[in-house]
Amino acid sequence: MTIGELCDALQAEVVSAGDETQKIEGVIVGDLLSHVLGSARENQAWVTIQTHLNVAAVAVLKELPLILLASNRRPQEELAAKCREENVALAVSPLPAYELCLRLGALGIGDVRGS
Amino acid sequence: MASPYLENFVVDENELFSIGEAAAQIKAILKMLGIPSDVIRRASIVAYEAEMNLVIHGGGGRMELEVRPERVKISALDAGPGIPDIEKAMMEGFSTASEKIREMGFGAGMGLPNIKRNSDSLELLSEVGKGTTLRAEILVKQEREG
Ligand SMILES: Nc1ncnc2c1ncn2[C@@H]1O[C@H](COP(=O)(O)OP(=O)(O)O)[C@@H](O)[C@H]1O
Ligand SMILES: [Mg+2]
Repeated sequence: MTIGELCDALQAEVVSAGDETQKIEGVIVGDLLSHVLGSARENQAWVTIQTHLNVAAVAVLKELPLILLASNRRPQEELAAKCREENVALAVSPLPAYELCLRLGALGIGDVRGS
Repeated sequence: MASPYLENFVVDENELFSIGEAAAQIKAILKMLGIPSDVIRRASIVAYEAEMNLVIHGGGGRMELEVRPERVKISALDAGPGIPDIEKAMMEGFSTASEKIREMGFGAGMGLPNIKRNSDSLELLSEVGKGTTLRAEILVKQEREG
């Protein structure tokens, strides 16, 4: 599923569109930057409640093309601006992280082991 | 690459929000040099964690990148407070980061373990009141056939 399709399906509020045609291959959930840094794989969507600028730095470094802010957490302006500059997609969902992940699972995202 | 590729990066202690700039530059250089992607992945983690520690604990400092065909070496040097007990600092979950820093998702006590896991050799030298030097090497293994 592409970033554009995914944001539509989730009815998430898109703050930065990123590369809407890019395919998402799985999900990483976490608010500890070191955890995401150590565990994320390229092209995963990142579900988090962290809203500060450094989220973009980690996403860029780990090549995570989509940041999904859960629980209606508003991104700080610096994060929004940086995501637009770096062409990283950033979207806000009212759903808490767990429910957001259930939705992602229902959309077929995340079952990528061995692929 | 006849001679090693060398680069230096200054890391400012006030740049909490721009942590990752040196790591991003290191990643870009490794890509430019054609280093295998798994080595770049590991080096990026090492560089980012080392940069975080410079800013959060070391009062800023500098980083060095040295690239040879057979290995990537990343160093982080500071003249900060130093580490009283290195063995303890290396333990998963040990952190002296403030509550505020933790809430931002930094300071999970996973940095040094992350660096160790992603490097082939790690040297951590520190003297209380003098500073800390971290050196990590990541080997570039030749592609296996078959
Ligand atoms: N450059 C440094 N200068 C002083 N102390 C450091 C430095 N790097 C690490 N430390 C100490 O080691 C601890 C563990 O580091 P780390 O594993 O990266 O976890 P974290 O940074 O999340 O606290 C830090 O909390 C700090 O006490
Ligand atoms: Mg750390």
